[in-house]
Amino acid sequence: MSIDFEQVSFAYDEHSLWRNSALEQISLHLETGVFAGIAGASGSGKSTLMQHFNGILKPTEGKLRVLDVTMQAGDKAPPLRELRRRVGLVFQFPEQQLFEDTVEKDICFGPLNFGCTPDEAKQRARRALSLVGLDDSFLPRNPFHLSGGQMRKVAIASVLAMEPDIIALDEPAATLDPQSRSELASMLSRLHREEGKTVLVVTHRMEEILPFADQWIVMEDGHKSFQGSVKELVQEAGRLQASGLAIPDCIRYWNEVAAHYGLEEEEPCLTAESLADRLAVLSDQVGNAVTPLPKEEAPLGLETSREGDG
Amino acid sequence: MRNKLLFGRSIDTGSWVHGVDPRAKLTGMVLYLVAIVAVQSWIALAGVAIFSLAYMLSTRIPLKYYLKAAKPLWTLMVFIFIVQCLAVKEGPPLWQIGSWTLYQAGLSSGGIAALRMAMLVSFTAILTFTTTPGLLNQGMNGVLKPLRLIGISADRLTLMMSIALRFIPTILDETQKIVKAQAARGADLKELPWKEKGRMLVSLLVPVTVSAFRRAEELVLSMESRGYIIGAARSEYHYLAWRQRDTWFVVSYILLAVASVAYHWI
Amino acid sequence: MSENGLAYELQRVSFAYHPDHPVLHEITLDIPSGSWVSLVGPNGCGKSTLAKLLGGLLAVNGGEIWVEGTRLDRDTVARLRPRIGMVFQNPDNQFIGATVEEDIAFGLEGRCLPREQMVERVKEYAEKMQIGHLLSKHPADLSGGQKQRVAVASILAMEPGIIIFDEASSMLDEKARGELLAILEEMQGSGNYTMVSITHDADEILASDRAIVLGGGSVVADLSPAELFEDGALLDSCRLIAPYRIRLKHAIRTRGLELPKELKLERG
Repeated sequence: MSIDFEQVSFAYDEHSLWRNSALEQISLHLETGVFAGIAGASGSGKSTLMQHFNGILKPTEGKLRVLDVTMQAGDKAPPLRELRRRVGLVFQFPEQQLFEDTVEKDICFGPLNFGCTPDEAKQRARRALSLVGLDDSFLPRNPFHLSGGQMRKVAIASVLAMEPDIIALDEPAATLDPQSRSELASMLSRLHREEGKTVLVVTHRMEEILPFADQWIVMEDGHKSFQGSVKELVQEAGRLQASGLAIPDCIRYWNEVAAHYGLEEEEPCLTAESLADRLAVLSDQVGNAVTPLPKEEAPLGLETSREGDG
Repeated sequence: MRNKLLFGRSIDTGSWVHGVDPRAKLTGMVLYLVAIVAVQSWIALAGVAIFSLAYMLSTRIPLKYYLKAAKPLWTLMVFIFIVQCLAVKEGPPLWQIGSWTLYQAGLSSGGIAALRMAMLVSFTAILTFTTTPGLLNQGMNGVLKPLRLIGISADRLTLMMSIALRFIPTILDETQKIVKAQAARGADLKELPWKEKGRMLVSLLVPVTVSAFRRAEELVLSMESRGYIIGAARSEYHYLAWRQRDTWFVVSYILLAVASVAYHWI
Repeated sequence: MSENGLAYELQRVSFAYHPDHPVLHEITLDIPSGSWVSLVGPNGCGKSTLAKLLGGLLAVNGGEIWVEGTRLDRDTVARLRPRIGMVFQNPDNQFIGATVEEDIAFGLEGRCLPREQMVERVKEYAEKMQIGHLLSKHPADLSGGQKQRVAVASILAMEPGIIIFDEASSMLDEKARGELLAILEEMQGSGNYTMVSITHDADEILASDRAIVLGGGSVVADLSPAELFEDGALLDSCRLIAPYRIRLKHAIRTRGLELPKELKLERG
């Protein structure tokens, strides 16, 4: 099973004077079972791309196949109910779409729409809530009285409760605090590893999911400017800049280290810990390539924190 | 999405009409309305049409934009046309279906009524196409000033209007996003049976209302922190200076209205 | 500026929306004029409330706030407000005007500035924020980063001495965030502004002079940003994460190593 775009273009307000082209000639192939990052500057078309995954938007040109459903521009839309269930879409700021007076009712909304019995839906609500790391005590609570981070988790659970095979999220960590962001990324990785979900994350903050994603797509101005593995992404980091994105520090440092020691062909180490481990191994192998810290020297200060200011 | 709305979408071509005082334009539009209401014959309609076309062309905005502006109301125009055809039973009969006869006068007045509507809508688009929202507000403020005499503050009315115009597109955009999100959760407005649609409406109204209130709250904070005090004296960024051209602009509309009304009565 | 060189003096400031749930409890601190202070802490620690108190949008329940030597109260708030500008999180909800220039002019109209002066200032500050070419644009035609620049320009145009940034960068993408940070650094460099920023952004905190950590409605720590990012427990309590370069340095150091001099870890 897979997601396949064949020359897909999409324009908002297609038949009006204000026709606004958002995607142009996108071809891509994503196997199910991947954890993919979709990066791009604002206005690059990445959110529009995501809304094609379950037929919320349909191509105005080209052909799109998601799982076993084919959508072709100009054709009558196929029944999309089952696809909507199998591909869960989490929009930006999903907590702003909550509307019921208890967490349980809100999470059950999706499953009930897709024909679950009330008991089944409640069971799924429980399970979905535990997947996002919240316990049953949240079920009877009013979602509007939760903290922003908790509301976000409930909203994601409301999509997970539909038990989709593929879950696509648009900037799921936006405006959360850094630790919540990183917890969310780990949670998504757990869904991928342990639940076998295909996870697609649209983001302009690549750093958080870089340690987890195995595939990357980079969007630029409605076009796909890159698709490939993490290693390829790291090797072609310059493309990110050309696409209006900042190169994440972990990629910049790896590239510096790789260039220095000739490690370009290796799998990149993109976390501080893994890079330090790699450097430790190098220091054992090459002897003094990485110099051990002299004992009497004061610990490294943080003076570099402002070095970039010039 | 947002672009479907013509609110505040001015199109700057730098024509002389763009430079006309917004108060003159607003007055002109009211006079145009009078003229259009008085139009009851093809000759009068043709006269007003020539006048309208001249103005539209002089804005240097492509005519198709004006047609598009009238498009959302085409069902209303068809409705008006049919009602007139049904109601007016004068003149020679043209066509007979069963017990119903279409008369020439009915067809004619139906045509006139529908075209009047189209002209009114597309012509008033001149106002929104050639005036930036800020100037429009200022103009509105100027035109509404006399309301002070009966104790209504024009400033507040125009502020309300400008904020509504500013935020309606944003809120509609957001509504569209929520519709999509709920469709992704299996509540597609298009696919649901009627009795479910009510439930669906709740799932839209709650988030839309909550978010509109949050926006309002933040907007108030932002206005307050920029020193806004209701009723306090303010200076005006847009300076409206009435020039001779503006007088001539209004005069042309007065002539149009007088001619149209006179033609109708004489 | 006040005689003692303080932009803010807070004396035992307390606040509660509801008497049973105090949000801030007896906060005492000084903020010198011209300094840049980051307010950090977990959600619900009261930092946004403190920002609103500092901006005169809320009134204290107990204690006193002195702004540049004048006590902030009901009688002085209207007089002090022009000294204090605030930039909020959502760029859309602080865009009051229908176009960029009208938005920048909004605050100036309230000051009854003559038109010529307004036009001048709108131009000057729009150019400073590099939005001079967007003056007649509608907010729907702008990106989030551009809208936030408009917000900053609208505040700067009022020429306040104090500016409070309430999570102003959190809805921006990485690039726009970097650009906003550069603006903040330039403002700090000019020495004309006292800045208070509420933020989770590590680079923004590190660029400021001082970090005040709030927790449970009180000041938990008042230290330099560099010290904050050395203190793992404190970072956890604020739900912050150190930037990658600092984490990498720590990781290398705990392995008893040092990075070769040719490799420099700098902010991108």
